[in-house]
Amino acid sequence: MMRQASKMILGQGLPSLPTRTRAVVVGAGKPRMYHERVVDHYSNPRNVGSFDKKDPNVGTGLVGAPACGDVMKLQIRVDDESGKIVDACFKTFGCGSAIASSSVVTEWVKGKQMEEVLSIKNTEIAKHLSLPPVKLHCSMLAEDAIKAAVKDYETKRAKSNSIEEAAPVKKAADA
Amino acid sequence: MWKKKLYASTPLSTILLSTRILAKIHSPKHAPLLNPLLQISASCSPSPPPFVREIEVQFFPTSGGIFFGGPRFHKENFNLFVKKKNCFCSVSQSAEKLECWNCDAIADSPMPFLVCQACRSVQPVDHSIDYFQILGVERKYNIEVDKLEGKYKDWQKKLHPDLVHSKSQREREYAAEQSARVIDAYRTLTDPLSRAIYILKLENVVVDEEERITEPELLAEIMELREAVEEAESAQALNQIKAQIQGKMQYWCNSFEDALLNKNYEDAIASIQRMTYYKRANEEIIKKL
Repeated sequence: MMRQASKMILGQGLPSLPTRTRAVVVGAGKPRMYHERVVDHYSNPRNVGSFDKKDPNVGTGLVGAPACGDVMKLQIRVDDESGKIVDACFKTFGCGSAIASSSVVTEWVKGKQMEEVLSIKNTEIAKHLSLPPVKLHCSMLAEDAIKAAVKDYETKRAKSNSIEEAAPVKKAADA
Repeated sequence: MWKKKLYASTPLSTILLSTRILAKIHSPKHAPLLNPLLQISASCSPSPPPFVREIEVQFFPTSGGIFFGGPRFHKENFNLFVKKKNCFCSVSQSAEKLECWNCDAIADSPMPFLVCQACRSVQPVDHSIDYFQILGVERKYNIEVDKLEGKYKDWQKKLHPDLVHSKSQREREYAAEQSARVIDAYRTLTDPLSRAIYILKLENVVVDEEERITEPELLAEIMELREAVEEAESAQALNQIKAQIQGKMQYWCNSFEDALLNKNYEDAIASIQRMTYYKRANEEIIKKL
């Protein structure tokens, strides 16, 4: 079911791909194609899905590129004690490059520390996927998404910490 | 492109100095243009001999502009350069006449100068003519879309590339470009979203292609919408969602118009962003149906 759903999600934006699709750019000598890594992320989707937003261990990053009508949701599950990202998932509605960028990020962040993933740069993502200049903003979107997810988690954590601190004070006052 | 031509012929300095010009005006609407001439002759310093001569004056208003530009005044006399049949003033830069590259006829109608009236040859593209002018509608957001098709077809009857097979290479190129531009104009103005973006562009407000947003409410709503489209099982469910989207599009179109009238460009861009999202969702529904 999830696979079907993810197929459907990923089914937008990319031209039909049983064979490698060639988009010929007028005036250029070489035909433009999706890089095989992009195609791979499309045909073999990994980490597509959702975590529970309300889960205190989950950070959700929700970003969009209004000019092309893209939305990207990236979620991380963090282990409280170690600060390590134990799992990640994404849901992206947009072009193949946007989907692949977010997919790549979910793969990269698994097992890393939160501070570490903040240093992921869109240029690395773009290089990994050989994104053409017109699609660089997709990698920027993915960078924004992971940063937003980390920020969300930390905000949640700070809130719950302040509630924990207030509660024992209250108990002491009641006692 | 149009050419600025100054025809230097018999200077009329001696003629006009203290005289009235008896001009035969060919159409009544050109009558107001006579006044500048009278003013000029009145301001000239008198000098012998008085001389009245009847000259034929043809006035050619340019599209949207006044033909009669300010003539140059010299200290003692002023020169009006006159050609035999056509009366051209030594024009200042503000008055630009559009001429056909083929037959040199002047553009004499209020319509945008895409095709010459006299010899029917297609003119080169003039980018200063915007899409609203080409399709003959007012430059505002709420235009009547039905009117566009008629005008569009009228233009294509005159400048479609198929009509110029036997003509010169130059004209065929002009026809290809002009025709493409008219098609562009029609497509841009029929679709509400592209019309909105185009209007803002004419006002020099550019919607940034690479901008990213993190508005949680908007994005969450769009996310839910897209997920609903994905998960919809039946055509009925899809049509329901489609109807909702239509409603929202209409709301944001109106919001855009209000923002535009108030020159509130931030709100206008926000409206465009939402319209883009809804349009994408709509496209997905259509794909699925």
